[in-house]
Amino acid sequence: MIRLEGLTKRFGEKLAVDGLSLQIESGEFFCFLGPNGAGKTTTIKMVTGLLQPTSGSANIGGFDIQRDPLNAKLLLGYIPDSPFLYEKLTGREFMRFVAGLYRMDEAYAAKKSEELLELFEVRDVADQLTEDYSHGMRQKLSFASCFLHEPRVVVVDEPWVGLDPKNIRFVRNFLKEKTQEGLTVFMSTHTLAIIEDVADRIGIIHRGKLLHTGSLPEILALASNPGNLEDVFLELTREET
Amino acid sequence: MSPFHAMLWAKWRVAVHTAASVRNESWLKIAVVSVSALLLWFGAFVAFREGFEWLRRFDVSPGKGFVGIGDIVMLRMVSVFSLALFLMLIFSNIFIVFSTLYRSREVAFLLHTPTGYRELFVARFVECVIFSSWASAYLGSPLVLAYGITAKAPWMFYVAAGAFYLPFVVVPAALGGLVTILWLRIYPALPARTLPIGAALLAGGFFYYVRSVLNAARLAEDAVASGTGIDTLLALSSQTQSSWLPSQWAAHGLVLASMGRLRESGFYWLLLVANALFFTWIAAETARRFFYSGWSWILGRNRMRLRPINRGLLNRVEGLFRRLPQPARALVVKDVKLFWRDATQWTQFTVFFGIMAVYAATLRNRAVPEYEHYRTWIAAMNIGASTLILATLTSRFIFPLVSLEGRRFWIVGLAPLTFRQLLAQKFWLSVCTTSAFTVGLVVLSCWRLGVEPSAFVLAVYTIIAANFGLAGMAVGLGSLYANFQEDNPARIVSGLGGTLNFLLSIAYITFLVVGETLIIQRRALGILGDGARFWWGYAGVLLFVTVLSAASVFLPLKLGHQHLSRMEF
Repeated sequence: MIRLEGLTKRFGEKLAVDGLSLQIESGEFFCFLGPNGAGKTTTIKMVTGLLQPTSGSANIGGFDIQRDPLNAKLLLGYIPDSPFLYEKLTGREFMRFVAGLYRMDEAYAAKKSEELLELFEVRDVADQLTEDYSHGMRQKLSFASCFLHEPRVVVVDEPWVGLDPKNIRFVRNFLKEKTQEGLTVFMSTHTLAIIEDVADRIGIIHRGKLLHTGSLPEILALASNPGNLEDVFLELTREET
Repeated sequence: MSPFHAMLWAKWRVAVHTAASVRNESWLKIAVVSVSALLLWFGAFVAFREGFEWLRRFDVSPGKGFVGIGDIVMLRMVSVFSLALFLMLIFSNIFIVFSTLYRSREVAFLLHTPTGYRELFVARFVECVIFSSWASAYLGSPLVLAYGITAKAPWMFYVAAGAFYLPFVVVPAALGGLVTILWLRIYPALPARTLPIGAALLAGGFFYYVRSVLNAARLAEDAVASGTGIDTLLALSSQTQSSWLPSQWAAHGLVLASMGRLRESGFYWLLLVANALFFTWIAAETARRFFYSGWSWILGRNRMRLRPINRGLLNRVEGLFRRLPQPARALVVKDVKLFWRDATQWTQFTVFFGIMAVYAATLRNRAVPEYEHYRTWIAAMNIGASTLILATLTSRFIFPLVSLEGRRFWIVGLAPLTFRQLLAQKFWLSVCTTSAFTVGLVVLSCWRLGVEPSAFVLAVYTIIAANFGLAGMAVGLGSLYANFQEDNPARIVSGLGGTLNFLLSIAYITFLVVGETLIIQRRALGILGDGARFWWGYAGVLLFVTVLSAASVFLPLKLGHQHLSRMEF
């Protein structure tokens, strides 16, 4: 569902992402792990079509995000760490706006919108301006709007900021359930406990290079001493001194 | 609903909610802003009306079927105004398109949805047109009304003026958009400040052109030689008459409408509409092909910098503040660095000083009038111009300083620093930076004009007082109407508080200039003589300037300080 081929991004002389190749299947929950500045966000920006790769390509559901962006983006949902909302729109108006961007049938979008607002517990505040929302409520509205057009691929960048433990559990389970229905999730996070819980496969990126990919047991097996994911991560991304 | 309609619908809802939020503002504030805006508009209307009436005096009974000289001069003046507005709109649209299309978080959000670049551009373009044109509508409407009344135009003229306005503002917006998109496509490898520097150079070239074409000295000399200077005025303004200029189509169409010649006026309107559609189409197609690569480049641009940026000229400037005590030094250095590193801030600042430089350069050429009362008039106008530029500077750059602490306000809030110290730092930063230029300009102009010592002293005292008064007002009202949610200074300024600050600044400088002009003009005309009556009046004006400026410093700062102290962060 997601196919990255030799994806490279160079900022001037700095190589941010170096020939990243990866295939993520339909219904897979892929977690992307790496230290700060490793190239995770740059990769996500290229996957979502925000950044032009210097070379290589990113395919979503068979559509190249650069050559056929509209078809690729119809399949894609994106949840950034700090969601953008229009401060002077209500939650319900924001959902209607997003439905328009995805050319959805208005009646169906309205029905779906109410379901999602209810599911993510923002229906009670749906007629308030989003400028009055807490960070957690903004994040929940961002989730609700992301799933409005029923994407087949969701890219999530550190989504837990501002969510309370109950909502973290809810979102985690919701995403996992969706993968069982065929949704592909590409998630970047530093919350290792969640990765251990949900990931079908983990990719570790360091200094722009994809070091390893594999299931949790496969990644754990990479450690020189038995340990948890944190130990393995620290060992694999240790800086040479 | 298509993405394009969804974007327009969302903007409409945002506008409705923003308008509704005005209900939460104080009615006093709304009343002050509305009344001041109306007064300013009415003042402009009276000035244009008087100007057109004066021009009509040159009519020498042309006879039936002929056009009088006054009408020709009026047409020229409308053309000059129209061209100036047109060029200003192109220039301002370059900045607006850059910030709306390339620097906005909203565009990043829209770009991960299936919205075409063409649709995205057109939707944002509509916003740019509205954003850039409301001020020109506000300034242009008194001119159109004054012209219509003076020319005894039929009611259809006013309908035509409305109809001409939309295509007239669309053409420069499309050209501004086109220039910005192509620039960011062609020169992505150039330094980040290329676009604003290019725009500033264009503006500088434009002002140089205006200065050389409308040379005040030549006009003044010819006026003396021929008695009117009308022939020179017509010759000089002929450069605005090119039939290739959309501004000329608008001016011509409007004048024809004022004569009731609607069929010919309609031709110019259709010409303007056709060009507006054509340039919008060209800009939209250019956006479809080139916008994304430029936007993506801008997104990654900040990460290209490998050299440490804390070197060079800026670090040397830091040395200037070595003697300042902490924490004032830390705040000043931070403000200067943030200002310098925001290209849209310092380029606009440069443009303002470009205007002042052109003004100072023009003074060099101006023939010094023989009569003292002419000299004092020009000196008073100098003070007016200098304080107006100063008011614009403080409203645009000093007013948002407290708001720009923004979401970082907790850093200042937690530091061992009182709000009183914070406001004092912003106040003195403003006074020290603006005084150097404005006081210098007034001293230079008075010296060039050779005004007599009493007028010289009063002018210099007035500009020094204005630096204090306007800084106090901007910092005080900037704290009273602090907007910590917004990090774009241009948007902070365009809010209710920013508008109120600008209008009060205009009122303040009007009082200063009127007070000063009254006393020195009356003396020049021999009404007050040289005796005690004059010196009592002179002392009265000095006292008036002092009291008014002190009130403008202390009252807003006190209110601003109280507001910040009561706020919860």
